[in-house]
Amino acid sequence: MHEMECRVLSIQSHVVRGYVGNKSASFPLQVLGFEVDSINSVQFSNHTGYSHWKGQVLTADELHVLYEGIKLNNVHHYDYVLTGYTRDTSFLEMVVDIIQELKRANPNLVYVCDPVLGDHGSMYVPQNLHPVYKNKVVPVADIITPNQFEVMDLLHKMGPDTVVITSSDLPSRLGDRFLVSLGSQRTSKWRVRMEIPKVDAVFVGTGDLFAAMLLAWTHHYPNDLKTACEKTFSVMHHVIQRTISYAHELAGPGRRPSPPQLELRMVQSKADIEDPAIVMEATVLTL
Amino acid sequence: MHEMECRVLSIQSHVVRGYVGNKSASFPLQVLGFEVDSINSVQFSNHTGYSHWKGQVLTADELHVLYEGIKLNNVHHYDYVLTGYTRDTSFLEMVVDIIQELKRANPNLVYVCDPVLGDHGSMYVPQNLHPVYKNKVVPVADIITPNQFEAELLTGKNISTEKDAVEVMDLLHKMGPDTVVITSSDLPSRLGDRFLVSLGSQRTMMPDGTKSTQRVRMEIPKVDAVFVGTGDLFAAMLLAWTHHYPNDLKTACEKTFSVMHHVIQRTISYAHELAGPGRRPSPPQLELRMVQSKADIEDPAIVMEATVLTL
Repeated sequence: MHEMECRVLSIQSHVVRGYVGNKSASFPLQVLGFEVDSINSVQFSNHTGYSHWKGQVLTADELHVLYEGIKLNNVHHYDYVLTGYTRDTSFLEMVVDIIQELKRANPNLVYVCDPVLGDHGSMYVPQNLHPVYKNKVVPVADIITPNQFEVMDLLHKMGPDTVVITSSDLPSRLGDRFLVSLGSQRTSKWRVRMEIPKVDAVFVGTGDLFAAMLLAWTHHYPNDLKTACEKTFSVMHHVIQRTISYAHELAGPGRRPSPPQLELRMVQSKADIEDPAIVMEATVLTL
Repeated sequence: MHEMECRVLSIQSHVVRGYVGNKSASFPLQVLGFEVDSINSVQFSNHTGYSHWKGQVLTADELHVLYEGIKLNNVHHYDYVLTGYTRDTSFLEMVVDIIQELKRANPNLVYVCDPVLGDHGSMYVPQNLHPVYKNKVVPVADIITPNQFEAELLTGKNISTEKDAVEVMDLLHKMGPDTVVITSSDLPSRLGDRFLVSLGSQRTMMPDGTKSTQRVRMEIPKVDAVFVGTGDLFAAMLLAWTHHYPNDLKTACEKTFSVMHHVIQRTISYAHELAGPGRRPSPPQLELRMVQSKADIEDPAIVMEATVLTL
């Protein structure tokens, strides 16, 4: 069997413990056979939902230095770039510069961007990131994964061909224990809708895993957003179910699991990552 | 099937591109079901065997800050610690302090240490790391993976024969670790000069309180290329296979050396394909074919047999 040769540059956070940022994206992509080069934008002990967190951040200059090293060796050739949660405008602007250069080196490069701004009506990154995403980042993105809040200000016509609204508060036809996700792919004219079971817990790292898996499944199904979404949402379901069962086991009856207990059961979900059983069907919307 | 619950803290380099340090250790351990917490001691663009490399290093203080974060959340409970190439004595000393604290939190913690000092007769880390390894690091290690040069340097004794190697491994046991694997030596192989000799020794406590030592020897095919990251992969895989075979060094070594063989063979084939006929592959071309070797990592076919030494 001829091996897949596909190289991803992922620029995200690193946590010593747990599964967010690059920790959430790298292993599943590697398990699916992607080569993953990773630039760690920060190194923290754990994600910021725990009681405590400590660590160091990478500056825009330091990011540039790392990229220079790659370029000097003439190995700056990527099929995909993947980015997520960022808090610093100069860092984000350096990311855009790098992506523009990488796209000149490979015009077929696909930039998958989770434009993390906020959720449920409020922003959780500094306000001054908003115009950088809108004016500089999204225009060079090929796939973006905003939630409903983020997509209000971002339109297909600003650049990306594929948009997946990962979660919304649109009412679900299956009742209030479900949320609605929407996907849209401009050139293939797919518009799909999925009813996703709600889970009564706060997870961290799931958005990062989602973007990584959407990268993988749109790579295998580039003109079939329905299948790509079914695969992606299904793998999310398997990982989340495994995680919530284990978290409740650890917490004990009647107790709410803590952030450490809610870390995604990533390595334990390898078989589901490799070949996710489809557990939900996307509805194709006709407009 | 009940899931394995085993957590490793790995403190090694991170490279953006390629497979050394934590990049070499994490994926294979995760594929085998280990939870891997990783502290990146440096972040470089790539390993230092390329024409160019750039990046940043973590200071001993920054290492301590990260550890503090873990401890404040009361999640500083590990089954294993894994360390490799380090260039800084204060960083190494901070690593030892952390390990001692982790061992107080879990007395059954196993510290797997690759005491990287040099090879082929010369040191490639600063000289002042030698006493730190000898006096502070090795004494708290449980499993070490020196090459012949490092084993000689740590014990002050030369290895010219198999008997010398056994004595050196016994000296290393006395310093601390119950498991020692001399990953490569220039002892003559019974299979000829296209093979090198590796040796291992594991000391276990018997129920009656006496110590029993199992010693093994392996003939490893030489490869005509310079690989980087193979020592890091070796230590990680020895961690995994001694975990599954804690009292059977023969099997643990056969699994570990076999997975090394599969990864290296896949890598060298691919490197020659990329380089073209008659050309020596370059460092980028020689990066380990790690993700492509997932199946071999999960379940390595045994391709070499360890001989148990009877002394």
